[in-house]
Amino acid sequence: MNNLRIDGSKQTPEIDFNGQTGILKISGRSIPENTFEFFNPILLWLDTYSAEKPAKVVAKVKLEYFNTSSSKYILEVLKRLKSFLNDGCDVNVEWYYEEDDEEMMETGEDYQDVSGLPFEIKPIED
Amino acid sequence: MNNYEKFRMMMDNHIMLSFKGEITSDIITMVLQIMETRLDAVSEKGNVRKKIFNVLVECMQNLYHHAEAEDESELNSRKAMLELFYDDDYYYILTGNYIKNKEIPPLRDRIERVNSLTKDELRQYYREILDNNRISQKGGADLGMIDMARKSGQKLDFSFTQVNDKLSFFDLTVKVSKRKED
Repeated sequence: MNNLRIDGSKQTPEIDFNGQTGILKISGRSIPENTFEFFNPILLWLDTYSAEKPAKVVAKVKLEYFNTSSSKYILEVLKRLKSFLNDGCDVNVEWYYEEDDEEMMETGEDYQDVSGLPFEIKPIED
Repeated sequence: MNNYEKFRMMMDNHIMLSFKGEITSDIITMVLQIMETRLDAVSEKGNVRKKIFNVLVECMQNLYHHAEAEDESELNSRKAMLELFYDDDYYYILTGNYIKNKEIPPLRDRIERVNSLTKDELRQYYREILDNNRISQKGGADLGMIDMARKSGQKLDFSFTQVNDKLSFFDLTVKVSKRKED
């Protein structure tokens, strides 16, 4: 399984999905105008990965901020992971927020509820 | 008015940025960079800064996706306006763009609904739309207005000015409190 690596930019987050370790990292900001173009390859990678039946996956989400059109796709990523979970994979989401960023913490809670995945919501330690 | 008077007026009104033209991807990036510098200069940080950024991104992406051209015969003339200023209590983010008259009723309904909700209700509404609505081609999925109301913690101030039988001008002003607790 190839890893998926996308460098971060002013508008898009850094993606570091490792098919061997099952550690999937998203970090930075996500504010592209054309969200589909950015997220579609990520969703396709996850579809391919699911065929490998990984035993354990940890998603580490560390976003500074994102626009509302990204928020839909972030949910799509989590829904893919939910189907991993349903297939017997051990899935965990680590949702990070900056200490004073209560909104990003609440957003984590929103995603936890909506996705039905096991979440750990924690402040970024300096 | 001479340029000095214009300059004084911009200073006195604490205008941080004023733009008229088509909102492109490059302009969005540039405006965010400029605002980053401006907010550094007034040492605005953390929470308030992030709120301003969030609202600004949504506002500009609304203009990017939804602004109509004033004259259909002119290509690439989806001109819009954007302005940022502050007073003692708030930052103000103003946008203006042309909109088709027939698109007004659903937009008005959506903003009025958003304005009628409490903080907790907004959160509930956001979750509902996040989970249920399909992603539109433009990616909007109706979350923008809800998000701006949530992030700003303020009612959205809006109006429509009819320009002709096809178009109106859509005014939107979003305030972000300078105080953290609001």
